Amino acid sequence: MSPHVHSGNSTQKCMLQVLIALCPALLWSFYQFGSGAIILTLASVAFCLLFEFLITRFLLHTPSTLGDLSAVVTGVLLAFNVPSNLPVWVIAIGALVAIGVGKMVYGGLGANIFNPALVGRVFLLVAYPVQMTTWPSQAGYADVETGATPLSIIKRIVNGESTLAAPDFMDSLLGVTGGSLGEVSALALLLGGIYLLVRKTITWHIPVSVLLSAFVFGFLFYGCNMTLALDQLVCGGMMLGAIYMATDYVSSPMNSRGQLLYGCCIGFLTIVIRRYGAYPEGMSFAILIMNAFTPLINKYIKPQRFGVVKK
Amino acid sequence: MAKLENSTKNMVLSLTAITLVVGALLGLVNAVTKEPIEQAKANKQSAAISAVVPGEGNEISKGEIVTSSNGEEAVVFSVTNNGQLIGKAIRAVSKNGFGGKITVMFGFDAEGNILGYSVLDCSNETPGLGAKMPDWFQKGQKGDVIGKNPGKNNMHVSKDGGEVDAITAATISSRAFLDALAQAYGVFSGSEVVTTSASQQAVAEEVAAPCEEACDGCPKAEKEESCHNEN
Amino acid sequence: MSKLGIIINGLIKENPTFVLLLGMCPTLGTTSSAINGMSMGLATMAVLICSNFVISCLKNLIPDKVHIPCYIVVIAGFVTVVQLLLKAYAPAVDEKLGLFIPLIVVNCIVLGRAESFAAKNSPVDSACDGIGIGLGFTCALTLIGLCRELLGAGTVFGASIYPEQFGALTFVLAPGAFITLGFLVAIFNKLTAKK
Repeated sequence: MSPHVHSGNSTQKCMLQVLIALCPALLWSFYQFGSGAIILTLASVAFCLLFEFLITRFLLHTPSTLGDLSAVVTGVLLAFNVPSNLPVWVIAIGALVAIGVGKMVYGGLGANIFNPALVGRVFLLVAYPVQMTTWPSQAGYADVETGATPLSIIKRIVNGESTLAAPDFMDSLLGVTGGSLGEVSALALLLGGIYLLVRKTITWHIPVSVLLSAFVFGFLFYGCNMTLALDQLVCGGMMLGAIYMATDYVSSPMNSRGQLLYGCCIGFLTIVIRRYGAYPEGMSFAILIMNAFTPLINKYIKPQRFGVVKK
Repeated sequence: MAKLENSTKNMVLSLTAITLVVGALLGLVNAVTKEPIEQAKANKQSAAISAVVPGEGNEISKGEIVTSSNGEEAVVFSVTNNGQLIGKAIRAVSKNGFGGKITVMFGFDAEGNILGYSVLDCSNETPGLGAKMPDWFQKGQKGDVIGKNPGKNNMHVSKDGGEVDAITAATISSRAFLDALAQAYGVFSGSEVVTTSASQQAVAEEVAAPCEEACDGCPKAEKEESCHNEN
Repeated sequence: MSKLGIIINGLIKENPTFVLLLGMCPTLGTTSSAINGMSMGLATMAVLICSNFVISCLKNLIPDKVHIPCYIVVIAGFVTVVQLLLKAYAPAVDEKLGLFIPLIVVNCIVLGRAESFAAKNSPVDSACDGIGIGLGFTCALTLIGLCRELLGAGTVFGASIYPEQFGALTFVLAPGAFITLGFLVAIFNKLTAKK
């Protein structure tokens, strides 16, 4: 387990801080997408808790781990990564995969290689592509109008299929665009991120390196277009991923140099997938890919051993 | 029986003998299955053609291989009934599928309206998404293209300003399908100019009875070819 | 070992897929539906029985130094025969399995059984081993295909169980093959460990 957990904070306290930090984004999502945002978030959390309970009780026969709140965080993050009009049965399957396949098969929290919420999200994206890529453009839950997301618009502009204007930076920063439930408002997510930094729940290394490398590579890969490069930072899951998911204690490198490398690679991969991949968004894939590299980074970028004299 | 020792003579002999026997066996099986394999291929092709240009008692000409505008090979089959040109079945390839090439057989009537299509190969498309194309564009389905004429209708997906509904969440595959259609139609309209005289143009434009003597020349040739094909 | 014992050994104790974890390429590649998995299993079984029998007959005529080329020639011969027969009399199956039929030549199950069983046992026993291992492979592939088809497309052998739109496409695609295989190996180990 990463050293953070031993540094005076219990897992429960950390998770509670993360939940508090996610509140502004949830409130904005409620304002933007209406009841769907709340229904889905609650359903996601409930299913994550249910599956965690069932698996610890009946399959693993271990003490319940509901109290550490990690399942609640996984539930909220999973819900934040899906469209707000997703049917509840789909999010239930996502919760089962996130908790079951993403976390429990490895032996529970601390032993999982990948971020559970992202495992659930990517599974759903591959399994139910139609439901997962139909974005509501107005508030409400069922039968709402659907529309494009800023990233799909950028993709079409770059491919020369659309002459629409590039998404407005301020719109995306505030969150008056289409997109996944909790990722639309970069500003609300940033507020939460600053709170986490102040409370020292996370360090600056991963978020800053992800955003910086995404900006640099975005600028290079999108033909040195400043508008599109800035859009990369505020559109899609960039903020949510950089602040809340790439920083997951269990699946990210242990020391700051490793974290910087990890963050830069995530930013780079995200832009490569966004620019050249089939999907308009690459944040979750990039984080999962780098999760797989975390053990390697930990092996080669070791923390300085305490008390050892330099030769 | 004791095992043969590792002498050069033994090794050469046993390997040669085994290879010869296996080779002979393969030759035998090949001779037996050659006929059925070709039969199966021909059946598949004619089934696809009669699916896209329906009708009882149609005669199918031998395939004419041409190059479509994307550099891929396309095959044109003329379908006639009692000397009347019913339509053409054209097998076209698009390189722009989600995972590579797709091959589709399109049937056009003499005017260029789409009679039907049959997807021969979409094995590189994603199951549940792009691989829905064998049904999606059929009559009565969401992306219905049957009866439309690529010369008059705008056969692009609605995202690109056309009038065809793309397969949900599989725009790339849908574009590839319509690209194959454009290739086929390009061959169809091109072949009209190259291979036929004004007479068949008349068929294309009037369809009605008076063309009987005008087409006299062409269907006969086609009939001969189809006879040849059956032999 | 009795003839039946040899067959059961291949089916359960040395199940090529769940215990030996051999032949993973066709296992993952062809099991997108139950019928595909079963066709692949049966094609492999046919090759396995023939090659085991013939190699066992020839074992004393083949000098040790050239045994691998000899085995491969025999196996490749039978694979080509199976492929030609499928093309002629079951073109639909051939089209579904495509490249995976010629790839049976390099399936380590076939060469593995030739080396470890047929080269040491009598022709009839070797044929029984081919039946056992072949059945084990067929059952495993059918089971994986069944799970993937049921979870991914809502059908079992093409018969609809629940509406297709509820199926999780992941299971029909490559990642589903790995997930399904992993869980089935876990279940198989759990069940056989208790005995």
